Amino acid sequence: MRPRARRFTVWRRAVQASLALLFLALPAWNAAGHRAMAGTLIALRIGPVDLVEPAAALSAALAARGGTIRLLVRAMPLALLALALGPVFCSWMCPWGLVSEGLDRLRHRGGPARSGRRDRPLRAIALGTCLALSLLLGTPVAPLLAGPRLLTSLPLEMVALRSVPAVTGLLLLALLALEILGPRRIFCRALCPAGALAAYLRTPRTLTVITDTDRCRCPDPAPCVASCSWGIDPRRVSRLDGCSGCLACIDVCPTQALSPGFGRSGPGLPGKEETCDRGESARVKVASHSEATCRGERADAGRGAALADAPCGSRCSDSHPPRRSRDLA
Amino acid sequence: MTEQAGRWTWRLLRGAPLRPPGARSEADFVARCIRCGRCVEVCPHRTLRPAPWASWAAVGTPTVVPREAACWLCLLCPPVCPTGALEPVADRRSVRMGMARVNASACYAFQSVVCRTCVDQCPLAGEAIRQDDQLRPVVTDRCAGCGVCEHRCPVPGSAIRVEPFRRAA
Repeated sequence: MRPRARRFTVWRRAVQASLALLFLALPAWNAAGHRAMAGTLIALRIGPVDLVEPAAALSAALAARGGTIRLLVRAMPLALLALALGPVFCSWMCPWGLVSEGLDRLRHRGGPARSGRRDRPLRAIALGTCLALSLLLGTPVAPLLAGPRLLTSLPLEMVALRSVPAVTGLLLLALLALEILGPRRIFCRALCPAGALAAYLRTPRTLTVITDTDRCRCPDPAPCVASCSWGIDPRRVSRLDGCSGCLACIDVCPTQALSPGFGRSGPGLPGKEETCDRGESARVKVASHSEATCRGERADAGRGAALADAPCGSRCSDSHPPRRSRDLA
Repeated sequence: MTEQAGRWTWRLLRGAPLRPPGARSEADFVARCIRCGRCVEVCPHRTLRPAPWASWAAVGTPTVVPREAACWLCLLCPPVCPTGALEPVADRRSVRMGMARVNASACYAFQSVVCRTCVDQCPLAGEAIRQDDQLRPVVTDRCAGCGVCEHRCPVPGSAIRVEPFRRAA
């Protein structure tokens, strides 16, 4: 089957590049006397709309030992974005994400990344440390160390100081060193407090990648897994994997088995696999056959499974209803 | 090397730096400031600068170093603060960043030299700083602590300095 155009990646690059250019131009624009927009990615003001990144707001509320309603209201838009679409802040908006992706491309051309599951403890420790330090030091540590703030505040500090700012510059150099010498994209994946909090805001109904097992037929070094710089297998993505919703896996899928969707991710969730063992294996067998023979056989297999084990069959169809209903109709 | 160490120690001992107009008490300000840089960005006089490493936990927070660039009380920064670290200020007369103090042993006017630079340059002309009957500068309690006098003082190293207010939390 012919691979689809890289539509999501093209749109994502366009959004990333325009935001990076915006933050590059904003200090000069403000210096010229326009005040409609100001700030960095962790706190951007667009006319009357005042946005604060949730991790920064939480960190400030902990440091001040009490937040304000106004701060909560300002943190809401980005928190709701993370609740609805996951950490798209990292993959679609953050200029450091763009830099990190570029460096990653240069370092590893298309190889599979370290498994995303290994980031889980590190992400919890990093965010926990940032928030605990905010409370102990009485200053918001999370935004201080967040990549999105450092990179977007560099141009404005350069304009204000008329030289390279030492603090921001050195912190950025440290991030750059981590990016070049450390494990692949480790800062974005696990250490950045902004990304970690957004990853934890993911709900079971957040935007995720849905796998259509009928179409999924790649052998094991699958292109979707290789395309994910977060080391996630999109066919078995789970809530705490930290999937940032970049949708690169959907773009590279040769059989169009992956699609973005709200609700439970693929049927490959551990635990669910066991309960649906019979139906699953029947469908995998079907997938290896040709399209024509497949259709009749699948109906048989489906009916057989439903007759043999009704509760299990119904649970399987729950996990990906759109594809099933369309196939049966 | 020694000079560098000395400067660091001095900064450490000096205590709180001068903050932008509308800033809360030092501890409260440092707790709320998320270093978003908005105030630094909107400052038309490039007065606000992120604090250097030597300010430890307060690194990256906006400071005013009057000798380098003073605050002209345009009051553009308090409304842009997203976290309330800078609170809105009604007008320039209600700004309380600090209080200027004249060093009599250095001030030209105290050495019988005619100099009224600080009096002339004060944005709150005639209110915050005035001349006494011997033409020497006297700072009144209306002083906003903007630092323009310190910035413009012709004495090397400045004979007038703004001491930041230590407001109770």
